[in-house]
Amino acid sequence: MTTDDYIPVQGQSVTCKDVMHHICESLGEDLNSERCAAIKSHLDKCDGCQNYFKTVEITIEYYRKYNFELPPDVHERLMSFLRLEE
Amino acid sequence: MDEIKLIELAKAGDRKALTELVIQHEQTIYNFSYKLCRDRQKAENIMQESFFSMVKSLHQFDGNSKLSTWLYRIVANHCLMLAKKEKHRYFASIDDDESLFDEKYIADWKRLPDKVTENNELKNILDNAIQKLSPEYRMIFLLRDVEGLSTEETAKVTELSVPAVKSRLHRARAFLRKEITEAFK
Repeated sequence: MTTDDYIPVQGQSVTCKDVMHHICESLGEDLNSERCAAIKSHLDKCDGCQNYFKTVEITIEYYRKYNFELPPDVHERLMSFLRLEE
Repeated sequence: MDEIKLIELAKAGDRKALTELVIQHEQTIYNFSYKLCRDRQKAENIMQESFFSMVKSLHQFDGNSKLSTWLYRIVANHCLMLAKKEKHRYFASIDDDESLFDEKYIADWKRLPDKVTENNELKNILDNAIQKLSPEYRMIFLLRDVEGLSTEETAKVTELSVPAVKSRLHRARAFLRKEITEAFK
């Protein structure tokens, strides 16, 4: 499937490009609109878009899991900078 | 002791309560600062300046939002001020970049690693990708997707409209995904 392919769903035409835009916009958002229903239906049938959806989720997950621990010396300098005592 | 009580006490000059508030939030703020600037020294400076601002203006905190949301806003302001001083840095222009959504970026990610924490190559790719985003986009992606703020909270922290946050967020997501895809080609 190419980004120019159209799949008519519930009277709406949706391209892969539309789906990609919308997925990115609506991850974590309410997906109950008619437009979203059409997009979900497209997603069920399009491997490319399913893959895209998964990889956007993986991208977010990568950044969520990549964390930085506060080193003890940085904590101590913060306390000293703020003139606070534990 | 709950946070509201600690804030009340800290506003009244209780140094122990203030210390406790700082300790409760320092890991989150350091982590967020580090993720924003990807540099240990800058992260430490931003964190120190942010907590200093918090201590100075805690009396202005009205309790209408969570203290953490208020702190994110302080960090965001410090980060943007720092970015203005670094004008020479180049950031990817993604405002009108429709190529972010091109079919060529529909790639197979099956061979990508699962775990970030043990993979330095992936960490480098993630660092490089996010540093190409301008601070305005980076901040929205981190607040909304990584720190888990709602779209409305993100809009409040960044002083943008909800549609503007959504627009920047979806471009930031697409850009980062594209960069990771290209790096693993």
